[in-house]
Parts: sequence; structure tokens; C-alpha cells
Amino acid sequence: MPTSGGERIKASSFIPVSTAAVLLVGSTTLFFVFTCPWLAVTVSIYVPPCSGILFFFVLANFTMATFMDAGVLPMANEDEDKDDDFRAPLYKNVDVKGVQVRMKWCASCHFYRPPRCSHCSVCDHCVEDFDHHCPWVNNCIGRRNYRYFFLFLLSLTLHMVGVLSGGLLYILHHLEDLWKLHCTVTLVVMSVSGLFFIPVLGLTGFHLYLVSRGRTTNEQVTGKFQGGVNPFTQGCCGNLEYLICSPISPKYTARPIKKSTVRIIPPFLRPETDIQIPIIKVEDNGIQTHDIQNKRPSTDGMEEPDIQRLNTPPPLPPKPDPNVLKSHLATLEESGLHPKPVTPSPGQTLQQFRPLPQSTSKAPPPSPVHQVAVAPEQQGGSSRGHNLSSELILGRFDQLAFPSGPMSAPLQLNSLTLNSRSLTLKHAYRHGNKLPALYPEGLISHQVSPGLFPPHNPLSNRNSLSYDSLVSSGDPHYLAQRGGPPLHYHPHFMTLGHDGSVLQRPPPHTYSPVFMGVTRQSPQPRDTSPRDPSLRDLTPQALTSRDLSPQALMHRDLSQQALIHREASPVRYDNLSKTIMASIQERREMEERDRMLRMQARSQALYGCPDMGVYDIPSRRSLPADSMRLPGSRGPTPPAYGSREFMMSTGILGYGGARSPLSSASSSSLTRAPRTSSSPLQSSSSLQSKGRSPSPAYLPPDRQAQPSSSSSSASAPDAPPKMPLTHQRHGGKGLSTPVCPQIGTIESSRRVYVASHTTLQC
Amino acid sequence: MATEFHNLQELRQSPSLATKVFIQRDYSEGTVCRFQTKFPSELASRIERTLFEDTVKTLNTYYAEAEKVGGQSYMEGCLACATAYFIFLCMETRYEKVLKKISGYIQEQNEKIYAPRGLLLTDPVERGMRVIEVSVFEDRGSSGSSPSSNVSSGISQR
Repeated sequence: MPTSGGERIKASSFIPVSTAAVLLVGSTTLFFVFTCPWLAVTVSIYVPPCSGILFFFVLANFTMATFMDAGVLPMANEDEDKDDDFRAPLYKNVDVKGVQVRMKWCASCHFYRPPRCSHCSVCDHCVEDFDHHCPWVNNCIGRRNYRYFFLFLLSLTLHMVGVLSGGLLYILHHLEDLWKLHCTVTLVVMSVSGLFFIPVLGLTGFHLYLVSRGRTTNEQVTGKFQGGVNPFTQGCCGNLEYLICSPISPKYTARPIKKSTVRIIPPFLRPETDIQIPIIKVEDNGIQTHDIQNKRPSTDGMEEPDIQRLNTPPPLPPKPDPNVLKSHLATLEESGLHPKPVTPSPGQTLQQFRPLPQSTSKAPPPSPVHQVAVAPEQQGGSSRGHNLSSELILGRFDQLAFPSGPMSAPLQLNSLTLNSRSLTLKHAYRHGNKLPALYPEGLISHQVSPGLFPPHNPLSNRNSLSYDSLVSSGDPHYLAQRGGPPLHYHPHFMTLGHDGSVLQRPPPHTYSPVFMGVTRQSPQPRDTSPRDPSLRDLTPQALTSRDLSPQALMHRDLSQQALIHREASPVRYDNLSKTIMASIQERREMEERDRMLRMQARSQALYGCPDMGVYDIPSRRSLPADSMRLPGSRGPTPPAYGSREFMMSTGILGYGGARSPLSSASSSSLTRAPRTSSSPLQSSSSLQSKGRSPSPAYLPPDRQAQPSSSSSSASAPDAPPKMPLTHQRHGGKGLSTPVCPQIGTIESSRRVYVASHTTLQC
Repeated sequence: MATEFHNLQELRQSPSLATKVFIQRDYSEGTVCRFQTKFPSELASRIERTLFEDTVKTLNTYYAEAEKVGGQSYMEGCLACATAYFIFLCMETRYEKVLKKISGYIQEQNEKIYAPRGLLLTDPVERGMRVIEVSVFEDRGSSGSSPSSNVSSGISQR
């Protein structure tokens, strides 16, 4: 006897089926005993056998409908939905024969219900092709047993018709003996049959209609295909054929367990395309690496201006010489830096590269060091893109011919090499004064350690355009190096940024084209020149390259370089008017300072990062306008600053904006109920999932509100170099000076870049 | 990789499950059992695209054969009806026969192709024909972690 509530419910659920069974069997038995003999005699001898067969059929179908598994889908394993549980929407759209069908997430069974599947609340499981839960058979009617249920209804209807007509015949012939036992029993049987005949007939007719339309009861009742097209119908005849003749699908539950003897023993084979680069799914950032199989580390790819948005990971150079790394690390240790491991992230676009901020040479050593450290931190942190971008840039320089020691060796980008380069960059800041003026090549590398950077000559080995630009851009840096301060680093980065891409773009600034032309035209001679002259030669080109460099790269050293230029009076400026150069320098300086200030202010506002202290620019905090800007709010989209910059900026925007997983969700913005087990995912994801219906728009700011320290530090370096001058000039965007009309756009684009970059950090 | 041959102990240890990749159903042709042949990116580094796609296409072919509404299924239905479905006690349906073939095929594929690559296919019928579960194992001897139980009972897991 049931004791608990659940059991009572179970017991009560057996009442209808018991009643139906009793009535069916009892009535039929009585009919056969009391009425059929007379019918056999009077009407035909075949009446009882046919009735018997019909009744047997009814019973068989009733039994099958009652005891057959309707097509129960087993619950999903925990592994199956761990990716979706907290982020996925409630509905998923799937296209069935051209019609969009919605698949709902089943919170009980932990999977998206296949089309036509529904969860039975009585039985608490999902049933394939769910029709309804029939209380008269106490079972769900679904894919596997619908035909039996339908045939049961049909046969029962026929049986009832037979019983009623036989009984009526009998009664009509025995009107005078109505109170005799046989008549009484027949009357009772007729009443029962007559009572249930109408509902059963109605139900049969209803299901005939459903079969003709190819719908299930569930779909009919919920009105799914009321006005639209039903993709599951095969026409009336096709549906009937499917109903009767289709093979019976297997039972999914309680299957015999098969023991597999497959042994999995490493080592494992790898595809022949052997991608040495692991595929990194950058889910948070939204960029997933595809086609990594086709990727091969190659210099060619990197030499191309592909710093623009990369959908596929760029090839990474081979691992650097461990000795080089050690030396780098040693130098970094020396400088007190903590070189953070830069993880390769082939999936990241260069856009995420955050140029290493370069303070003025006069800046205290910690500041450049810090800024340098920031970049690798970023790289090693959640933002793989930064990592990769810096790596790319570094690698580019590598390709361009950084013959300096091991750094220059690989023609291909190597993540480790890039890491070392970033380290060297960090180190470079520290040792700015010490490093030789291998500026153009090792914007980063040479700065790391003198020994690592061979003379500038190797640059000449490359005749690529990027190399040329690099060379040209290296000038001011060289000059700067001569001067001692690490100002030269700025152009390196900017040059690097260009390297892949910028140089080819028409510079946005008025002076740019001039320099561009200069830059491109005269790479080679500088190659062979001794270092000093080459440095000077590179100066104007550095300026131009700086112009062209992605905004992210530009900020740092413009000012310093401008100063350097003024100081250095490069030989190569012969083809440029000195006034132009001076103006260019001034402009760059202002730009960079402005950018730095903004970046820093913004980063501080956003992330509350401590005063980076690296750049003792007092005006940093006096940029409230920029600092107040939300990370999600990007500045005005920069104009076509240059092909690559624009692409990068737009890429960043697009990339950052599309990161919300709900943005790509199906029509509903609701999220599924998470599993009972708490999600280990980050809070941002929990916001999406637990909230059940967070708006996608809510996510980006939320994500940005949880910046990683790396991102904060990443953005910080950009800000510091901003000089008071910039601040004075920029209340907002535009500059008042006519000299640099484009600076406003540059700044805006930089802000955009940084903002998006910051966003990406989250 | 050379590191995998450090010692025999390491080799003997079973690899641990790294992740599971799920190949979802393709409902573009209705509720007929079909699986998406799209090559998942997670497997790109573990198995050749062609091999995987061949496996899925073959499975789809098997399932199409199992679900074909034709003469054999009609006869089966009539026979079942005629015997009041007692025939189901004696004989297994066509679908079940094809499922056995599929199971054998998956076993063979696992042994020949997937296990050497550190992958393991799970029969979809164990997942309600909703997904093909591909277990991806770590590509080296255990890195100190306890060996998983998937080595010899991959298909049996439920």
C-alpha cells in the first residue's frame, strides 16, 4: 500500500488505466458470454471469431500502448552541457526543411529538446515525438508507441461498434425478455459501451485528423503549426504510411551495456598537417581559431601587412634559443622586472596589441620598465590578443631582420621568441641607455641587451617594404638611443606596428605622405651606412612610420621622438624641411602625450589601477573627460586613418562588440537554468546565465567592469606618456592647432582602440 | 614527442580525459536520424578532417538505412500486428539489427582510427541519438593525474 505522497500519486495514476482495463475486459467478456452465442446462431457463425480477433487486437494494442517505451530520451551526461549550462539561451533555433523550429532547453534532462520532443511532467522525462500522456494507459504516447495507441483507438472504436450493434440486435429480438439475465447483461454492456463510445469515437476522429495533418497532440494543442507550415508532415498518405509502416525506433533507456575493448594508449597520432600551434579557443574574446591546420609558420605571412585583423592565428616563429631567453630573463631580473611569461595566442589579432608605452627617456627607469612589464602581463593574461599582437609585432621586427643574436634568427614568428622579445622590451626600457642603437630592428630586442643586437646592418638584408619602413622608422630611435633615453623605443613599436601594415597606408597626417614617400624610397642606403648615420637616416622615416603606425603604437614616443629629432638634427632630414620636421615632432609629441594621458586616466577610472607611476605626467589625472568615458563607450570611430589602422580599429570594435554570447543567441535572450551545481565560471558568465534573461547589452559593460589586472595595466601604460601639453590641447578631441588636424582623429581612434582593447581584456 | 617515452610506467598509464566533443544532430531533413558532418574545430588538431567526416557520413548512411520506410519495415509491421506483437519477443526489429551493425562499425573505427589518435567515439544510441560523443584524451602519458577509466570501457559509459 502506498504510504508516501509520491506513492499515493502513483497509485492514483493507476485508477484510470485499471478502470479502462476492467471495463474493456469485463464488458467484452460479458458480451461474449451472453450475447455472442445468440449472434452466432442468428446472424453468422463468424461473428464471435471476428469479434474475438478484434478484441484480441484491441487488447494487444492496449498492452503495447501501456507498456511500450514511448521514446524516452535519457538524461544528458554532465559533460554534455557543461559548456552551455550557464551561458546558453533558453531556445535554440534549428532549420527543419526550411522552417525554423525552436528547440527548448530542458532543465530536467539537460539538453536541448529535439524537434517534436517534449518533456512529460507526469513521467518526468523527455519523450521523442511527444504526443500526450494518456491516463487511460498510464503512459506517454510518443514516437515508439503512437501507432499502437492509434491502432488501439481504431480497434476499440470498431470493437465498440460491434458490441453495440450486437447488443442492440439482441435486445430488439428479446424485447419481451428484457428482464432476463441475458438481456440485462446485454443492456448493461451496451450502456457501458454506449457511454464510452462517444469519447472514444471523438478521440479517434481527432487522431485521424492529426495523422492526416502530420501533427502531434502536443503540437495541435499548443498551436505550433496553426498558421504556418508544418515541416514534419509528409502529406496525408505519407503520414499514414509512416504511421503504419515505419520501423520501430529503438529504446534508448535500459540498453544492454556493451563493454568496449578499445584501449587508448599514448602517444597519439596527429593529423598530417601537423599544426604545431595548438588550437586555442578564445571563447571569451569571441575569436576562435580556425583553419589552424593550414597555418605554417612563415616569415612571408608576417612580412605581409597582416597586422590587420586576423581571423586565423598568424604563424609563430620557432622557439628562440634558450640562451637568448635566459639572457633576456637575466637582464630583466637585473632590472628588477618580473618578466611574465607571455603565452602565445595565435588566435589573437594584432589589433589587440597594446604598444608598450614608452615614456620619455627622462622618465625614471621604473616607468618604462613598468610599462614594458605591462605589456607582457597583458599578453600573459586573459587577453591573448595582446599577447599575440605584441608577439606579432615583435616577430615582425624579427622578420624584418633583427639579426641581433638569436632574436633575429627566426624568420617566423615564434611565440616564445615574441615572449622573449617582450621581455626584452621590458628589459629594454630598463636598459635604454645601455643598449646599442639597434633601434630599427630591435625596437624591443636591441633594447634588451646590447649583445643581442647586432649592428644595424642586418636590417639591410631585408628588402621588404616593411623592412624599409622599419629602417626608416628606426632613425629617430637610433638618435634617441644615442642620446641615451629609451625614447627610441616608441618608434620601434610604432614602426613595428606599421611594419606589418601601416606603412602602406596613406598617413593621415598632412605630413605623412611626404614622409611616406621618403620612407619608402630610401631604405637601402641606410642599411649599409654605419650605425649613426643609419640612425639618422631612419629618423625621418621613423617619423613617417610613426604616423602610419597603428594608433595603439603611436602614442608612446611621438613626443620623445619629436624631441629627439630636434636634438639629433638627423642627416636625413635633408629632404624634408626642418620646419616640417619640427612641426611633425611637435604634433607627435602632443598626440602621444594626449593619448597616454587618456589611456592612463581611463584605465584608472575603469580599473582603479594604481598610479602606474611610470610616467610622472602630472596631467594624467587632469583629463576627466577621457577618464570618465566608460570602457564600453568608444570614441568616435576614426576615419579611414589608414587601411590597417582602420581595419584594426573596426576589427576591434566588431570584435569587442560581438563578444557577448547572448548576442549570438537565438531569438530569446533568456538563458537556461543552470545546473544545481554551481558554476565555476567567472562572474561575468554567471551574470549571463543565472540571470535568466540578461540583456546582451548589459554584458559588455559588465565584462569591462571586471577587468583583469593585466588589462588594467595594459591600458595604463598607454596613458601615462600623455603630457600636459596634450591635455591642454585636448579638452576633448580636436586640437586647436592647425598643424595637426588629424590628431583629433588619431586620438579618437586611439581611444577607440584602447577602449576596445580594454574591452577585449575582460 | 620524446617526452612521452620517458618511462614505461608513464606509457602504461591510461590517458586522462581532456574534453568531450559533441556532434549534434542535423535536423534539416526532419526528425530522421542524421548527424552534422561539420568538422568541429576542437578535433582539428587530433584527427584529419576527411577521416572524421567519413565516419559521420557512414553513420548517417546506416541510420538512413535503419529508418527507411519500405518493404521490409511494412512486412515487419504486418507480421507484428498479425501475431499481436508477440513476434517482438522472438525477433529483433530491423532497426535493432542496423544498430548492431553501427555498434560494430563504431567499435572498429575506434580501434583503427580514433584510439590511436587519443579519441573515442560513443555510440549515439547511448545518448538517445542526440549526439555523437567524442571523448578527447590528453595527448601524453598521465601528467601525474590519476588514470581515467575511459581506457577500456569507453563505449560502456553511460
